[in-house]
Amino acid sequence: MSTLQKLGLILGIAGFLLPFLIRFDDLSFPGHLALSIFLLAAFFWMLEPIPIHATSLLVILLGVGLLSGAGPVFGGMDPELVFGMHGGFRPGSAAAYVGTLANPIIILFLGGFMLADAAVKFDFDRNVTRVLMKPFGTRPKWILLGLMTVTGLLSAFMSNTATTAMMMTVILPFMSTMPSGDRFKVALALSIPFAANIGGMATPIGSPPNAIVVAASARAGHAISFGEWMSMALPLVIVAMLATWWLLYRMHRPTVTDIRLRQDTTWNRSRKAKLFYGVFGATLLLWVTESWHGVSSNYVALVPITFLSVFSVMEPSDLRKLPWEVLWLVAGGIALGIYMEQTRLSDWMVGLIDWSAFSGVVILGMFAFIGLLISNFMSNTVAATLLMPLAITIGLSQGDAGIANPTLLALMIGLGTSFAMVLPISTPPNAIAMATGVVKTSDMARSGLAVGLIGIVLLITFSVFFWNDIIH
Amino acid sequence: MKPEYLIICVEDEPDVLDAVLRDLAPFESHFIIEGFGSADSVRDFLTASSAGTLKPALFVCDHMMPGTTGVDFLVDVETFGLAAGAKKMLLTGQAGLLETVKAVNQGHLDYYLAKPWTPESLQQAVRLLLTSFIREQDLNPMPYMGVLDPAQLADMLRGDRRLTDR
Repeated sequence: MSTLQKLGLILGIAGFLLPFLIRFDDLSFPGHLALSIFLLAAFFWMLEPIPIHATSLLVILLGVGLLSGAGPVFGGMDPELVFGMHGGFRPGSAAAYVGTLANPIIILFLGGFMLADAAVKFDFDRNVTRVLMKPFGTRPKWILLGLMTVTGLLSAFMSNTATTAMMMTVILPFMSTMPSGDRFKVALALSIPFAANIGGMATPIGSPPNAIVVAASARAGHAISFGEWMSMALPLVIVAMLATWWLLYRMHRPTVTDIRLRQDTTWNRSRKAKLFYGVFGATLLLWVTESWHGVSSNYVALVPITFLSVFSVMEPSDLRKLPWEVLWLVAGGIALGIYMEQTRLSDWMVGLIDWSAFSGVVILGMFAFIGLLISNFMSNTVAATLLMPLAITIGLSQGDAGIANPTLLALMIGLGTSFAMVLPISTPPNAIAMATGVVKTSDMARSGLAVGLIGIVLLITFSVFFWNDIIH
Repeated sequence: MKPEYLIICVEDEPDVLDAVLRDLAPFESHFIIEGFGSADSVRDFLTASSAGTLKPALFVCDHMMPGTTGVDFLVDVETFGLAAGAKKMLLTGQAGLLETVKAVNQGHLDYYLAKPWTPESLQQAVRLLLTSFIREQDLNPMPYMGVLDPAQLADMLRGDRRLTDR
């Protein structure tokens, strides 16, 4: 275990024990229990003494044990008695806590994961890349835009990391032929992770923090549909992409004049591939037309999950390789939010600061900024999870008519974390770019900071002028 | 990165050994490259470090050497547990057909490069062999991205289940 990890272990355990040793006024007994879980989870997630998905599972286990009617603390007690004794808390349903593992948002992401893995299995991603890159020609400036557009498009429904890995290998052979002094190599290498992270904001399934946003907003009373998310996020993604392209190009001018990327792939014409294309197209169609047919995108996700299995397009060996631990990571985050809400821990935490001093827009900006800031040093999903309960509670207390409503605040945090691209540890796509050996940390930090600042400005602008009206 | 795997070069003529080590310099950032003048000195090294943490990824072997020939050595290496999975290359102008067949069938030879060689052909061969090694050992390809064969790297990264969003 590294020093940071050991520190995380110690702080996590200490944090867990703290509420048992110190009594906080205004915080109920269940609130203290939830605080124990929160502190343990926060330190374990941030410093990773154990894998982050394992911490999420701990969160669920501790919730069942400490806060549910099935656990040793409240088990066997009359719920009304508990309600009276502990400030309006009813012991949680253990089934509901464990059920976060199959929360509708999780099902949505499972559908997305299956489509994405099937896309890779049938070379769909590589063929789409080859076809879409053609119109962009061979001039460096346009190739850069082409790469970013394709990367963004793919990462909107595939994992940002897988998209980055695939696109990086498209440019690696060419990069090795470029003269060593050519700064454009840096632009090429950075464009992929940046575009992947930005593209991941375009749809609810693009990136795991988005799941935290949707789940939190739904609990606060506003379920963001697939189409509604896209109508808000897509314009921002397009503007951010263009700004980042322009920025990277200006900061890293090419000396080469011609870029030819070799891509030897052909469309897979097997029966199973065609079935996949059909299921993919149908699912996408159903997702974006949600406001017409009214079936939630979460349940539409059962369509690809079911039919990819029915036609054996995805077989058990494929199913086993799905990133289940990412689903569990999100589930634990959702569970923690539930505990903090049910025990009024978030109310207590929010009450520690006087928020009436800040205007709605300032609060929006603060959460976008803090989300972006801390997410540079930890997993995006973890950053979103830790900030979300506070934001939702503040949003609910501000009242729905205000600009700092729960949905907008959730979006500030969730999308803010996606804009965190300053360091190699900020996101796995950044780490992949670093591994090529072409990018120095200072290159990444400079460009990443610029993109982050652009991101905050865009988030606040879009919220105030466009999104608030779309939500209401 | 901190190299964890070895490239072992065996060649009895010092000038030739120097040339090989020089041509393999691009891989120094990711692998520890060791040169030996005879098969026996390699055997001593491997048995001494069998308790150590360094594993050979690739053997680049001359054939005509005093003591154990390259082919016999590569066949021998099969018995070293430490060297299981390592890739084997013969770099020689003097292995006859019978010996080469023996190297392929019993020594599981992976590559035959004839002397004299060009730096590019040696580097390309080594790149392919190291990529195969990393693939077969199911190692995380990310730290090795600078030295791997880009074409295979695509498949490795796309199929690598360790790389997920978080």
